[in-house]
Amino acid sequence: MIQTQTYLNVADNSGARKLMCIRVLGASNRKYAHIGDVIIAVVKEAIPNMPLKKSEVVRAVVVRTCKELKRKNGTSVQFDDNAARVVINQEGNPKGTRVFGPVARELRESDFTKIVSLAPEVL
Amino acid sequence: MHHHQVLAMQQCNRPLQLSQLISCTSYSSQNVQMIHTSLCASRPALNASLRTQQCQVPRISHQRRRVSNSRTGAEMEELEDVDLSQLDEEDLDVLFEEYGEVVLTDGKPRPVASDVDDDAETLTFAIALAEAANEVKGAEIQVLFVKPLIYWARYFVLATAFSKPQVDAIGRRMRDMAEERFDHSPRGDTKPNSWTLLDFGDVVVHIFLPKERAYYNLEEFYGNATRISLPFENRVVQ
Repeated sequence: MIQTQTYLNVADNSGARKLMCIRVLGASNRKYAHIGDVIIAVVKEAIPNMPLKKSEVVRAVVVRTCKELKRKNGTSVQFDDNAARVVINQEGNPKGTRVFGPVARELRESDFTKIVSLAPEVL
Repeated sequence: MHHHQVLAMQQCNRPLQLSQLISCTSYSSQNVQMIHTSLCASRPALNASLRTQQCQVPRISHQRRRVSNSRTGAEMEELEDVDLSQLDEEDLDVLFEEYGEVVLTDGKPRPVASDVDDDAETLTFAIALAEAANEVKGAEIQVLFVKPLIYWARYFVLATAFSKPQVDAIGRRMRDMAEERFDHSPRGDTKPNSWTLLDFGDVVVHIFLPKERAYYNLEEFYGNATRISLPFENRVVQ
């Protein structure tokens, strides 16, 4: 359940370290973002000498949440941190080349199979 | 154990607190079974040595709790202070038989050959897609067998196209061929993109422009996957 002002870790090697959500995309006045949703975020912390800098506004996909994700078969998955993956451009291609940490397979249903194919582990 | 700890919670009667990531072995039994206690997650093996999955079951707490088996109503006692990671396969099998609960079965035992048959069908599909890309003059076409590494796909088809209209043409050709011959329709990018992805379920197709192919370098990431030899000659990107 990511909302405005939420700090998220960055799960790829695009250059950012932390993002703060400033808007949840999907509908007007939408309150929360879950795994597989796109948010608009601002870079709050970045690695030096990389293309992404602090206070840049970017779009990102949420890949892990501390709020548990319930599946239809009755199981649920919960991660230890909130993390997002930085997505470039209106085309939707990821900015980084590798993803860190596990991701949930619900991303595949939201048409983010590109992120899933770069992930080291899919839960 | 990776540093991201995942808490897998089950909605069941047992008050077990699992504090570590559980990855289950796939039992070699012929039936497809879902173990009631935890979610089976297969790790994609980036190291060639990590082929089989280890079952790491955490230490259960000291307290003796009476847990009622929901189906039979019989009560059974929790294992007291047993370090389950020391047990080997046979002991775990015994434990599973005693305390485990089969939630979902296939019914009849699956013959061993069926997996191989499924793979053969998917392989013909993947090669047919590669051939479709070749007809439209795609370059550096590769078919990777990724089933031992990841669980969500069997084959990857990678291709390079030199312009977006060519990407579009390859995509359309593949879609038409898949509909006609195999009755599969893909999910994924409908508009041509510098990295276009077509997801046919078991087979995932990646079509890149030359710059993106070098940038994302999927072959390096899936370096442990076996490359399937194709029946045509590959064009090289100049």
